[in-house]
Amino acid sequence: MWRAVLVGCRLLRPVSAAAAGPLRPQRLPPVAGAPRRGCAAARGAGGGGAGALGAVAERRQAADTVLPKFNIDFVVALLRQENAKDICVIQLPPEIKYCDYFIIVSGSSTRHLHAMAHYMLKMYKHHKEESDPHTQIEGKETDDWLCIDFGSIVIHFMLLETREAYELEKLWTLGSYDDQLAQMTPQSLPEDFIFGLTPNSSDHLETRTECNC
Amino acid sequence: SITGACRAIQKLTRVRVVDNSALGNTPYHRPPKCIHVYNKTGVGKVGDRILLAIKGEKKKALIVGHKMPGPTMTPRFDSNNVVLIEDNGNPIGTRIKTPIPYILRQKGEFSKVLAIARNFV
Repeated sequence: MWRAVLVGCRLLRPVSAAAAGPLRPQRLPPVAGAPRRGCAAARGAGGGGAGALGAVAERRQAADTVLPKFNIDFVVALLRQENAKDICVIQLPPEIKYCDYFIIVSGSSTRHLHAMAHYMLKMYKHHKEESDPHTQIEGKETDDWLCIDFGSIVIHFMLLETREAYELEKLWTLGSYDDQLAQMTPQSLPEDFIFGLTPNSSDHLETRTECNC
Repeated sequence: SITGACRAIQKLTRVRVVDNSALGNTPYHRPPKCIHVYNKTGVGKVGDRILLAIKGEKKKALIVGHKMPGPTMTPRFDSNNVVLIEDNGNPIGTRIKTPIPYILRQKGEFSKVLAIARNFV
């Protein structure tokens, strides 16, 4: 099941701000035929310096995301304008009914992250119509991880150390084959666990909690 | 002795930590228990913050599933699942293996917990 995720999930290579050219046009001309898929390059530790890309992955015609104007290209263009480092855009398959695009961005300092987040929110508010839901910035009290959820796009602003610690790119691209998931010790059911047993016998629950401790 | 699930998570309920934080997974002779629910009523449902006592320390946590049946078309779990959280909302663990309900997305600012989750329900 998750093979489909690997195949369908497109990871666009992290683009460093240095390689950003002029702002891309908002609407890419419709491409006849299947769009080229970007090679999945799971971002290694500290390998953020992807540098100049030779073949830029041509993304699919930006589908309707939140708004007709506020789509993924616009978001990425804004991030580049803000000197965001290591923009990593992951397109999720529709089986994961979470969002369409998952963006992870690094900033140079706490203030940079806050500025970027507030700027994104401002542009969203500027472009949205009345019927669209409001969005809030999550993680305003933290100093290393902020997050904005725009319905079909989710943007995470993190510092570099936080990014290395959580490795969200690996989780969302590799799916079940993620190494941190594999390292988690699997919890096994206790021997006397019977499915459907009502929790009135004290043995059943006690052994379960012992196993989980 | 154990009663059935009549109120979801309240003070002194034993909970199960489902992320891969060190604090949640190292064995201890007492299970983690809720000592306070940050709610007007003392009952915590999915998406509420609680205070846990783990290994002699106090830690905030987020409820991601409970045994009590909730509103229709919401999942009911076989254990009271909880994810450890810092005071500022950052999750302490880095991965969550158990399924997480989608309601958390609309509930509040829990995108970070959803970001480290693996599968959704």
